[in-house]
Amino acid sequence: MNETILLICLAFIVIAAIACAMFRSMLKCAVSLAVVSALLACVLYLMGATWAALFELSVCAGLVTVVFASAISLTSTSRHQPENEEEHRKRVAGLPFILIATGMMLMVVIAATGFHIEPQANAALVGLSFKDVLWNMRQADVLGQIIVILAGAFAVAILFKESDKA
Amino acid sequence: MNTLTMAMLVTAFLLIVTGLFMLVRTNNLIRIIIAVEIVMKAITLLLILAGYINGSELLPQAFIVTVIVIEVVVAVVAAGIAIRIYRHNGDLDIRKLNRLNG
Repeated sequence: MNETILLICLAFIVIAAIACAMFRSMLKCAVSLAVVSALLACVLYLMGATWAALFELSVCAGLVTVVFASAISLTSTSRHQPENEEEHRKRVAGLPFILIATGMMLMVVIAATGFHIEPQANAALVGLSFKDVLWNMRQADVLGQIIVILAGAFAVAILFKESDKA
Repeated sequence: MNTLTMAMLVTAFLLIVTGLFMLVRTNNLIRIIIAVEIVMKAITLLLILAGYINGSELLPQAFIVTVIVIEVVVAVVAAGIAIRIYRHNGDLDIRKLNRLNG
């Protein structure tokens, strides 16, 4: 049952990503990205990665969508969109065909090379929780995340700094 | 290879191809940022697939949280740059970004 739901979610992720590329409206494009994130959060949850699913849903599907919606609203791209509907359709028309060809090519390569991966049991992390792994084993990652967030905040502060000349 | 592993691998590759297609075929700066985000979703999917194959989701979860943090910071800074460029040039078309002198 879980596997069926996972496969459906994966199929809808691809459909939402294609829709994201095909929509001419920027806002619809951002909403499609949020749908991709929400479905990816479902996949992560069903795979047992509950904390990652929580972050994906709240941060990627929520915060990033708000950031994109704000950026689209502030730049009012709809008024300045240089290409018309027909031009945009021509530009992205090849995507479904490229994806079908890539998917089929991938299947053929996997079948021809006998590429084989089977899930295996891992005894190394048995008995540990996500908290133990994140805070005790990956301390350098946490430090790196703090530095990246501070760098991002500093960059935004510099970008939107009021000019001295004004 | 079981169906789920295969489906996740194919989905990740299709997401990468979609993102790269968007990167190549668009001239709008915000669309380019969205394309990068789509490629990063594929990376998240590949990380959780690695955890599924290795039999433990704990370590990939820690990596995914790191990827999400980087993804958000990239999106926020890139959106900020796009807004500044729009204010400076009045357009988000990357073909018109030929005035980089301050």
